Amino acid sequence: MNRSPRALAAMVVAPVAFGIAFVALWEAAVKVLDLQPYFLPPPSAIWREFQANAALIWEATKVSGSNALVGLVIGTVLGVALAFVLSRFRVLNELVTPLAVALNAVPIFVLVALFNNMFSVTSEVPRRLMVTLVVNFIVLVNVAKGLTQVDRTHVELMRSYAASEVAVLRKVRVPNAVPYLFIALKIAAPAAVITAFVSEYFGGSQNGLGSRIVGNIAISKNATAWGYVLGACLLGLAFYLAAVLAERAATPGRPQSAE
Amino acid sequence: MTNAVDVRGVSKAFNRGRPDEVRALVDVDLAIEPGEFVSMIGPSGCGKSTALRLMANLLEPTSGDVHVNGKPARKARLDQDYGMAFQQAGLFDWRNVTKNVELPLELKGWDRSRRRERALEMLHLVKLDEFAEHMPWQLSGGMQQRVAIARALAAHPPLLLMDEPFGALDEMTREHMQAELLRICGETSTTVVFVTHSIPEAVYLSTRVVVMSPRPGRITDVIDVDLGPRRDVDTREDPAFFKKITEVREALRGMERASSSEAAGPPQPAGMEDR
Amino acid sequence: MSEAAAVRPARSDSAPRARDGYLHRLRAVWMFALALLLVAVLWELYKVVGPQDGGTVFGWKILPRANDQAMPHVWQMLARFGEPERAGFPGTILTTILSGAWFTFRLSFAGFVIGAAVGLGLAVLMARFRVVERGLLPYLVVSQTVPLIALAPLVVSWGGKLHLGAFEWPRWLSAAVLGAFLAFFPVAVGTLKGLTSAPPTAVELMDSYAASWRQTLFKLRFPAAVPYMVPAFRLAATASVVGVVVAELSTGLAGGIGRLIIEYAREATADPAKVYTAVFGAAALGLFMAGIVGVADVVLMRNRPREALE
Repeated sequence: MNRSPRALAAMVVAPVAFGIAFVALWEAAVKVLDLQPYFLPPPSAIWREFQANAALIWEATKVSGSNALVGLVIGTVLGVALAFVLSRFRVLNELVTPLAVALNAVPIFVLVALFNNMFSVTSEVPRRLMVTLVVNFIVLVNVAKGLTQVDRTHVELMRSYAASEVAVLRKVRVPNAVPYLFIALKIAAPAAVITAFVSEYFGGSQNGLGSRIVGNIAISKNATAWGYVLGACLLGLAFYLAAVLAERAATPGRPQSAE
Repeated sequence: MTNAVDVRGVSKAFNRGRPDEVRALVDVDLAIEPGEFVSMIGPSGCGKSTALRLMANLLEPTSGDVHVNGKPARKARLDQDYGMAFQQAGLFDWRNVTKNVELPLELKGWDRSRRRERALEMLHLVKLDEFAEHMPWQLSGGMQQRVAIARALAAHPPLLLMDEPFGALDEMTREHMQAELLRICGETSTTVVFVTHSIPEAVYLSTRVVVMSPRPGRITDVIDVDLGPRRDVDTREDPAFFKKITEVREALRGMERASSSEAAGPPQPAGMEDR
Repeated sequence: MSEAAAVRPARSDSAPRARDGYLHRLRAVWMFALALLLVAVLWELYKVVGPQDGGTVFGWKILPRANDQAMPHVWQMLARFGEPERAGFPGTILTTILSGAWFTFRLSFAGFVIGAAVGLGLAVLMARFRVVERGLLPYLVVSQTVPLIALAPLVVSWGGKLHLGAFEWPRWLSAAVLGAFLAFFPVAVGTLKGLTSAPPTAVELMDSYAASWRQTLFKLRFPAAVPYMVPAFRLAATASVVGVVVAELSTGLAGGIGRLIIEYAREATADPAKVYTAVFGAAALGLFMAGIVGVADVVLMRNRPREALE
């Protein structure tokens, strides 16, 4: 990878140009085609609403964001722990892997409807539990992969040193799993936000971003709803960037995992 | 008679004008007559693969001219005047053996029955008749490489360009493939330009061995190999064969001495030669 | 397959892998059934030992209520399928669930097809023109990190209001568009990766044949992309279901499985097993979509080397 200043500039210029063009086109399309605000408000109106409701949006962001964060942390810890257990016991691995694969194909977030009954609709526990579950499976699958799909040569080398299983785990499997953990986190962080958000569509307290968007549309304040959407996007982006920064901090000098 | 390949005053530089500029080839002249078997040999980074790709018009020279079959290289490529084989057989996983051989004919717009007939004819030539319907991944490395040769020759090109085609094979398979290649080229009277790392391979196959040196890539020696047209197992034990091997080795070592007396340059960027 | 190989390097040799493929899958199916059974057993076990009105751990109220209203018995959930949707209604709830799942499936499938078409088009464009890839790809990646699902209620609110000439935007189309919205990304990125995965020598080979870009695309790049496209389509299939279900949830689009879940969840105090039938229906729908892609996978990859099946 040769990154001369010119190449770097080219890398930045094209996306920025596309972005500006997109927003400009959007704004122009709304003006020229005289689109109704319920269809598509212009970016300028969304920005105005975003500024005007900044305090409210921030409150809602805190609610959805903390649900996502709590679920992300617990789910990650749980996922890593389970991955260690599964990689140690083959039968458990065989039991859980097909389940994880199946859950992957299923709109799993509908479980919130069940959790709401199992706990209390007004508590945040069902939403946090849902995020935990989603994050847990993403982390579990990836870290288990990292712990088991190690270079055979490395394992054979360790065997030739008469190294114990624990030593193989510490010197080979865990280092191998670290990049997988961060791949998982980069998927799980935005997924946590999205899940926290979608969980709000199942009723319960009307305090998060998801509920607010629905609420504003119900009273035909679409541009305001778009303002909340913007807040949601920023929250998702913040979570993703945090995951990327965590990866940089934890694995300096290593090639960063691709998307 | 027009030359099969004519390389005149050719230079090739990568990343021109940048700090990491590499002079892959400098002032290369080489004329190859029809029917010749010419090997290009030299250490990594000597530009032998680059030279081959210039002949194939997969790269354009920075300066100088490349003619193939009396035409500019680009025209020769568009006219399909050569076939090409690489170190990796490069067969398409999703096509069976026959379909792989048919590929160049398909691209030329031949109709189905004609190209099937030709493909089977080529498979007969490389002795793979029974494997016509197999998938590539069911074949051994040597067999895959034979399919690749059949593919390269399918359109009956007068020239065959080969980039270390046997480099990934084991020694026994390799010697067998070399004998097969000589037989096939004899039967089809194809001119061959052959890039290799192996001195015995170059000597066994060639009528001429072109010795190249790196930094910058250039031709340092051209050695005629007159072991006669019939080469077989005995050739490999012929004193004349060993003499030629020694000669090529000396040429390579002489170049080494010459270049080690210069200040050792920076290591060649990886991947330049074996792209 | 390779996981097992990596865990026990001493025992594994590569030869039996191909033969084991089928047995391995069969075993996975059994293990899946066993896992489901275990989940059911754990569920019932919790109902026996768990606190009836929920419990607190270290002051957090995180133990679910074990009573029959909150956690019905597994057999009650299954038996519910055979009972009518409401007392006095003809037919069983199974019919209602199936028709709801069918409704959602049609929308999801429409979304999947639209999304896949857009994704494929974008991938080809990006593979053809580097400037498009440079300009667009970062946004595609970012678009996956933001909850675009937030747009669901907005897009669905077009339904019945938006007129494009004589065309009145139907509500179901909004849901399908959302499905497409979530489905196009994996297809675009996976296909792009696949299209650029062709080995350089293969590209050189096509160049040496003076093949046109189009010929290279169809003879080399697309076939080479198939192993990358299959998982991408699998993700897209699930994503389209998610998109449609969310659209149903957030706006009250009636007729689909998502709506049934919401409705039944509201009746949970009186009829706690009911909502579970709808949730199972949604799960079955997701698996069905994935199954369709799985069949396509088997058909497309039947002549490929085993390694590519990973």
